[in-house]
Amino acid sequence: METSVTQLSTRRIAVAGVLAAVSILLILAPVGGFIPVPTPAANATTLHIPAIIGGILEGWPVGGLIGLIFGLGSFLRAQLPLFKDPWVAILPRIFIGITPYFVYRALRSASAAWVTLFALALIAVAGVFSYQVATTHLVYGLLIAALALLAAAGLIYLARKQEAEVVAISVAAAVGTLTNTVLVLTMAVVRGYLSADVALGVGLTHGIPEIIVAVIITVAVVTAWKRIETGRGGARL
Amino acid sequence: MNRFEAREKTMENLELLRYITIGQYLPTGSPIHRLDPRVKLLGFGALVLVVAFNGSYLGNLVLLATVLALVALARVPLAYALQGIRPALPIILVLAAFQVLLPSPAFSVAPRCSVLVRWPFLQLTDCTLRLVVVSALRFGELIILTSLLTLCTPITDLARGVERLLAPLARLRFPAHEVALVLTIALRFVPVLAQEMERIVRAQVSRGADFGGRSRLRFIQQTRQLLPLLVPLFLISLRRAEELALAMEVRCYVGGTGRTHLVRLRARPADFVALGLAIAFAALMLSLDFTAADRALLPGLAPNF
Repeated sequence: METSVTQLSTRRIAVAGVLAAVSILLILAPVGGFIPVPTPAANATTLHIPAIIGGILEGWPVGGLIGLIFGLGSFLRAQLPLFKDPWVAILPRIFIGITPYFVYRALRSASAAWVTLFALALIAVAGVFSYQVATTHLVYGLLIAALALLAAAGLIYLARKQEAEVVAISVAAAVGTLTNTVLVLTMAVVRGYLSADVALGVGLTHGIPEIIVAVIITVAVVTAWKRIETGRGGARL
Repeated sequence: MNRFEAREKTMENLELLRYITIGQYLPTGSPIHRLDPRVKLLGFGALVLVVAFNGSYLGNLVLLATVLALVALARVPLAYALQGIRPALPIILVLAAFQVLLPSPAFSVAPRCSVLVRWPFLQLTDCTLRLVVVSALRFGELIILTSLLTLCTPITDLARGVERLLAPLARLRFPAHEVALVLTIALRFVPVLAQEMERIVRAQVSRGADFGGRSRLRFIQQTRQLLPLLVPLFLISLRRAEELALAMEVRCYVGGTGRTHLVRLRARPADFVALGLAIAFAALMLSLDFTAADRALLPGLAPNF
């Protein structure tokens, strides 16, 4: 029986509950919750991935709920003053699972032409952004430009191979991660914990590995769960 | 610490994970313990709101005193309530140093901030000083408050309280019962999934994976180690969710309407008094102008907003 996306069926309740448990577990566990990055301050995280997967698989209410519970958990366990603030720890997290759902739905049935157009738009936006960043931080700007080009090339390659589903999942995961990084850091700047410069640095050194890991894990999990043919032969999980 | 010791340490921590919950409960039978969980949640929310909004010296001192009084009232040893602070202390100090050394440009040039000390390369404004002191106080207050909530209330009571508090929203078609159920499932499944995670880690370690050392120079290898851990973890949890949904449907679970509860919460007069006090306190704190009081008490040290 097809239910509307806002209706919380038994299945959606169970998926939301269990994925929220994964995100609490990753907050508590000594391994798995962080990506070691070579910066002295802190680690990049994988904690937002359950919300992204929930949003893609079961719709935005499930994604939003998982994000909310992740936010509550990170607020209760926070050891940084930054995350002991509900405005930073809880509010932005609700949206982690909501944006990927809409991106996924929009791109799932997109044709190769649309994806190519989207990739070109991505290059244009990233171009403007990286130029602006490059005027103050040359290295960051070049890094953003290079990554955007790589991402766009990957998207066009996948679109030409008729893998709309994989494209949709990857972009959704990247958007979900960006939602987390951008909203949390914006709130941190608004609430006066970080200066805009520091936030930009943290966003790039943490955001980029977070996006890469989130895309890889989300694609692996969602394609395996939905039994989507990924075009690669060999063993499945 | 060599690789093998580090790995052993990781495995030990994983085993401990089965027994810990997100918060620790300490039964002392104090008046706060006996309050209705709904009242505790509402009071907690009101206090967190006040702490998050108050950015003055005096206001935060008052809040700190209030929070410490609550700890005394709950008969919780102070060390328990403060246990979250110790591991965070070095980070707080480093952050405070950063805030002084690299102040937000908005603060160093803002016309409303005045410079207190000027060194050759940096300057300390009253805005920065207040930010550093108030952040530290606020952090302490929040650590104590959140510990207090979980020290005085079992997690299952909290889930019940959330459900009952959200119940009026069901009239607006908000799925209150379902949201509370999701929360309960999440808390219930943490130890189950922790066990699954332990199994995955053991399986990968037996194949030569190295989860222990945290050498930052090998971060690409370290990140690649995450994939064979997280991907199976997600797939196992999704399978668990599928089984859970099936089990619930087999037992004729049809959602919240007309459901009765094993434990019924009943508010006593003391609960209403406590709630009234909490709300009155929050309203008072939000309506008072602490900035003016700061300037009267600390002339020259408190900024004008």
